[in-house]
Amino acid sequence: MFGLLGPNGAGKSTLMRTIATLQEADSGSIFLGDIDVLREKDKVRRLLGYLPQEFGVYPRITAEAMLNHFAVLKGIVNARERRDTVNALLQRTNLNDARKQNLSTFSGGMRQRFGIAQALLGNPKLIIVDEPTAGLDPEERVRFHNLLAEIGENVVVILSTHIVEDVSDLCSQMAIISGGRVLMSGDPQAAVRELNGKVWRRVIGKQELEEFQSRYTVISTRLVGGRTVIHTVSDAQPDPTFEPISTSLEDVYFHYSKRDSQQRQAEAA
Amino acid sequence: MSWEILKFELRYHLRQPLFYILFVIFFFMTFGAVTSDAVQIGGALGNVNRNAPFVIMQLLLVMSTFGVLTTTAYVASAINRDFEYNTDSLFFSSPVKKSQYLFGRFTAAFIVSSLVYLGVVTAIMIGSFMPWLDKERLGAFALKPYVFSYFVLILPNLFLFAAIFFAVAALTRSLMATYTSVAAFYVAYIVSRVSLRDLDSEKIGILLDPFGFSPFVRTTRYWTVFEKNNNLLPLDGVFLGNRLLWIGVALVLLGLTFAFFKMEVGSASGKKKKKTAAKSEALIPAGVAIPHVAQRFGGMASLRQYFTTIRVETGAILKSLPFIVIMLLAVLNTVGGAVFASPIFGTRFYPVTYEMLEVIEGSFFFFAVIIAAFYAGEIVWRERMLKLNEVTDTMPSPTWTIWAGKLTALCIVLYITLFAAVLTTISVQAVKHYHHFELGLYFRGAFLILGIRLLLVTILMFLGQILTNNRYVGFLIALFYIVGQVVMDALHYQHHLYQVFVLPDTTYSDMNGYGHFVKPFEWFSLYWTIFAAILLIAGHLFWVRGTETAMSIRTRVARGRLGIPAVTMLALFVIAFVTTGCYIFYNTNVLNHYSTDDQRDKRSAETEKLYKKYDRIAQPRITDVQANVDIYPDKRWVDIHGTYTLVNKTQQPISDLHVVMVPDVPLSVQIPGATLARNDADHGYFIYHLAQPLAPGATIPMSFTVTLHHRGFENVSRDNSIVANGTFINNFATFPHLGYNPNVELQETPKRRKNGLAPIVRAAKIDDPKARLDNSITRDADWINLDTTVSTSPDQIALAPGYLQKEWTANGRRYFRYKTTSPILGFFAYLSARYEVKRSTWKGIPIEIYYDPKHAYNVDRMIYGVQKSLDYFTANFSPYQHKQVRILEFPRYAQFAQSFPNTIPFSESIGFVADLRNKEDIDYVYYVTAHEVAHQWWAHQVIGADVQGGSMLAETLAQYSSLMVMEKEYGRDKMRRFLKYELDRYLQGRGGELVAEMPLMLVENQGYIHYRKGSLAMYELRDEIGEDNVNAALRQLIHDHAFEQPPYATTRALIADFRAVTPPDKQSLITDLFETITLYDNKATAATLSKRADGKYVVTVTVESKKFRADDRGKETSIPVNDWVDIGVLGASKTKGNEPVLALEKHHLTTPKATIRMVVATKPDRAGIDPLNKLVDRNPDDNTKKVE
Repeated sequence: MFGLLGPNGAGKSTLMRTIATLQEADSGSIFLGDIDVLREKDKVRRLLGYLPQEFGVYPRITAEAMLNHFAVLKGIVNARERRDTVNALLQRTNLNDARKQNLSTFSGGMRQRFGIAQALLGNPKLIIVDEPTAGLDPEERVRFHNLLAEIGENVVVILSTHIVEDVSDLCSQMAIISGGRVLMSGDPQAAVRELNGKVWRRVIGKQELEEFQSRYTVISTRLVGGRTVIHTVSDAQPDPTFEPISTSLEDVYFHYSKRDSQQRQAEAA
Repeated sequence: MSWEILKFELRYHLRQPLFYILFVIFFFMTFGAVTSDAVQIGGALGNVNRNAPFVIMQLLLVMSTFGVLTTTAYVASAINRDFEYNTDSLFFSSPVKKSQYLFGRFTAAFIVSSLVYLGVVTAIMIGSFMPWLDKERLGAFALKPYVFSYFVLILPNLFLFAAIFFAVAALTRSLMATYTSVAAFYVAYIVSRVSLRDLDSEKIGILLDPFGFSPFVRTTRYWTVFEKNNNLLPLDGVFLGNRLLWIGVALVLLGLTFAFFKMEVGSASGKKKKKTAAKSEALIPAGVAIPHVAQRFGGMASLRQYFTTIRVETGAILKSLPFIVIMLLAVLNTVGGAVFASPIFGTRFYPVTYEMLEVIEGSFFFFAVIIAAFYAGEIVWRERMLKLNEVTDTMPSPTWTIWAGKLTALCIVLYITLFAAVLTTISVQAVKHYHHFELGLYFRGAFLILGIRLLLVTILMFLGQILTNNRYVGFLIALFYIVGQVVMDALHYQHHLYQVFVLPDTTYSDMNGYGHFVKPFEWFSLYWTIFAAILLIAGHLFWVRGTETAMSIRTRVARGRLGIPAVTMLALFVIAFVTTGCYIFYNTNVLNHYSTDDQRDKRSAETEKLYKKYDRIAQPRITDVQANVDIYPDKRWVDIHGTYTLVNKTQQPISDLHVVMVPDVPLSVQIPGATLARNDADHGYFIYHLAQPLAPGATIPMSFTVTLHHRGFENVSRDNSIVANGTFINNFATFPHLGYNPNVELQETPKRRKNGLAPIVRAAKIDDPKARLDNSITRDADWINLDTTVSTSPDQIALAPGYLQKEWTANGRRYFRYKTTSPILGFFAYLSARYEVKRSTWKGIPIEIYYDPKHAYNVDRMIYGVQKSLDYFTANFSPYQHKQVRILEFPRYAQFAQSFPNTIPFSESIGFVADLRNKEDIDYVYYVTAHEVAHQWWAHQVIGADVQGGSMLAETLAQYSSLMVMEKEYGRDKMRRFLKYELDRYLQGRGGELVAEMPLMLVENQGYIHYRKGSLAMYELRDEIGEDNVNAALRQLIHDHAFEQPPYATTRALIADFRAVTPPDKQSLITDLFETITLYDNKATAATLSKRADGKYVVTVTVESKKFRADDRGKETSIPVNDWVDIGVLGASKTKGNEPVLALEKHHLTTPKATIRMVVATKPDRAGIDPLNKLVDRNPDDNTKKVE
């Protein structure tokens, strides 16, 4: 399972859509094994399961009928195989009881699970899910992660998200992108290890923020219990008021984002 | 705050391109209509000024109907914009009050819509100053009509539309619901109009017309040219009521909107959040293995994907609300159309299948096109609108299965609608107890002919959506396609080779089936189907799959999709398209002569310019015609070999023979000793110079051969007279004639001016001595003898005037020889068809009806009509000059009956399928029969001179004769209803006059005068001076003028005969009816009732009477009333026009106002002046008043 992490507008969806044959690339190339994704779209589509960030459904059609229709589009033309597959997927996504229900009456979570069901049709080799947990409540999100994790055991899953936890929970590989550029890619654990011992934390007064930002590489600022807490990256302890903390993937993400924005500023200057 | 919102909104709308697009479209549509005849909005203008108040009002009213769409666009955007862009929460949480929000937005939308219509107003203003316009057709500029129309007609309409759709948009918060309600609004309007089509529609219908059309039409329908040029719609009575009613409705709707609108985020007011399935969410059950499946691609699998797309898409349309609503309305409209189909004098046809098919085409097809246009937009955009496209577009089904599946689904839906239409009309047939269901014809007419037209339209709409990739532009393309058809035709781009997806018309006839229309229809269908296939390939290449919509990227993608299969197919289709096009061109333009209306007008004008100088030049006259006419129905050929005997009846020798023929018809002429001095085949004018001039009294033979051969097919079948079954030709169109023929001349002044001709002189002055030497039918003959042999295929009977001398078979063809035994006018016809014959007699004279066995319904009625006519005419006029009466059916390509000596061709569609089962209905079969038999006297015994009033002698007298025959059979009450139709048609005819309205005795072949006014005038004359006196005058006319040689009689003789039998105190009646255009405005102002002791009722009625003389443009001058007028009391009746007459007295009115008392025995209902509407009165409904 591959996590694609980045802020809103980073180009995650564009990349996903390009891989999913929905969008043309201005330049460059994408390969899936031997398949040239930009040219051999049909081949890609045969291997692909895609769950876009948001999607609607036809009104006045049941979940089962719709899934059945999608199954035919996925090339599952044998009627018995199709029935078995549709049944299995409805059960796996816990939609079996709602199979005769019109899709338009589905809740957000149900709809999202239906999305997974359709993406899983036809044993895809590559599954792309774009911001799948946006709008789900915490409980549903957990369930969804479990399902994704299970799928990820067998096939390639590309998960795009702006939530760091999603990636740290699920992914064995990741990339951070921003402004259309890849800031980092690799194993999330390794990335965390790399920064280990270099992240420092300090509680500061609100008015001190500017001063600290100019003196240190502040990668993140947040409020904890109403007090401003900053994280900085430094090989050595900047000064004794900073305390060492164990690095999280979030720090990695902020670190690379920070570095990127500094580089951009430098380039602009 | 309200003001701020208003300003903000206005600024927003005026910054949108939509405003400018609409403004420009409206401006140019109107500008086109004002500055050219090519664009017509609201009908041709005839003689009315281009900037007449009537035209301005009509244009603005018609354009205001589009206002439903434009205002909806604005009010819907005013409401839905927030929900669409999710700014609703921003707005509703701000401190804006509901009233400020709603009315700010509403007012802005209304103002912007109103501004759009300034485009229409300025277009007329500017348009009427364009230098190329005919100055004669422009009135002086006046601001008032514009201001009046804008504020009284446009703004209330826009206000109403805005209020209605603002309410729908605000309360449903759904664009879909709003636009569906627009469709529903239009359709409901059309449907409601259907019920008001009949003559007797009343005030309610006028009041209830939200567009204000009915009051406009109702008020102006009898307007003359003068009134159209000068008058504004009077803002009073029902019209004012209509305006106030709808403004009131609009205000109420706004109030309701305000009351029910909730400043809430999200879903619609009052509507609960959609029920969601509240299931307990167990953890994802593990352990259910997802089975491994085989995926198949290409070949059969693709087909399966195509089919599943069809199934899902078809279901989606069939289950959607707009479809169901439109279908319901379409079916309702079709029922209306089928039940009330084609009334003539209120009497309908049998619901024969071809008639039902025309109902489907007229009342249903439009809805099917709307469904096609609307759902083309839906189906192409469905996934993208639902945001499902990213899912479906990544499915591994081939691209073609997506669009082809959608298109096929749309086509299936449209066929389902056609099927529903057919079921509807079959039900109507069954309900009307008509059980001859021609399923095969339904299949051909609905599923093949209408079906292919609908499919082509659908493909166009569908591709419009794909290629423009913008729903609204796609809809605009649909609109332009519909408008464009009309415009192209009007601009004389009439060839079906480039009228995109327009197929030639096909007319079905019981006699001839689809006949010769089939071949061009098939070829053009093939041609355009291939073109559609080419477009579909383009659609495939440009079909948007994914999220890229920029044209540059789509082009790149298209290039990528353009593989060898696509290129091969494209190439094959292009070759097929070009080949088919060439074959069609060969047929329409090489084998046949293609010309547009414009070109034909030009040629007519040329003929006139070149040869008018020979008008009434001295020529010999035809005295004998000998002709062999060979009809080949299968090939649609007619060969004519004829010989005329020409006699110089003038006083001087004639050295040049002017032979005239219909252009483009091959003709060869042999005249002994003559040389061809002028050979102008283009204009059909040939001058033969005689070496030896023809001395006065001398005779010369003229032989000729005419070959009328149809080859291939034409762009538009112009000649429907020579056909496989039901050939009907006459000698005017197929034989050569002598002397200039004025019938070629263009009639309409604008067309004439465009071709450099002065306005037409339609008829010679009544006393023109030269013109009186010609009769009004033929200039090259007086009375002739006809000896003709006609042959046809062995299964048909061929007929011509005269008596059958001999019938034989030779060379596998059937021959008939007909010969006249007494002189006839030089006008005769030939017919050939597979006839059934019904025979009867009248006093030993055979009566024969030749008809098509498919519809024998009214044959006995015709025989009876002939018998009764002969009874009356021989008793009251003179003996019948022939020894036989034949009625011969011809196909419905033309709708008339025509009287030749002892021979009456009668169109299939005006008598043979009339449904006369309801005895209440007017039996127009009987009427037409009597009229045509009467022509054996009026035309074939007494023929007028070729001057003004000529057609009165033939047509008005035939009308009178048939009215008398009809009245004897059906009584006076039925005549009242018949004459009401005549009055209506006369008054409407006046408004459409192209040149000048003439008094009856000077009529210049104007149908609305010599038929319609003729009926009214003769009936009134009969009422005033008595039937015996009228008939005595007519006998005198026959005595003096029957079978006379030139100079021929004029209406002066007839009027003198009338005056001779009219008492001195009624002489002014003759002046009013025949010598002038006289109108009345009669009205009852009060009617009261009291019951007497003896049980009788005393009715006191106050009446007003005004009398006018009109000039030839309809300008009226008041003249004093000095007339004997009916004052009457009517009883109650269920059907209008059938009220029993309780009292009817003639009163001599000399003052404009009078009060009269009458005593009646039974309870009266209404009372008033001229209650039976015998006088020409433009407002006949107010003649009586309910008694109180």
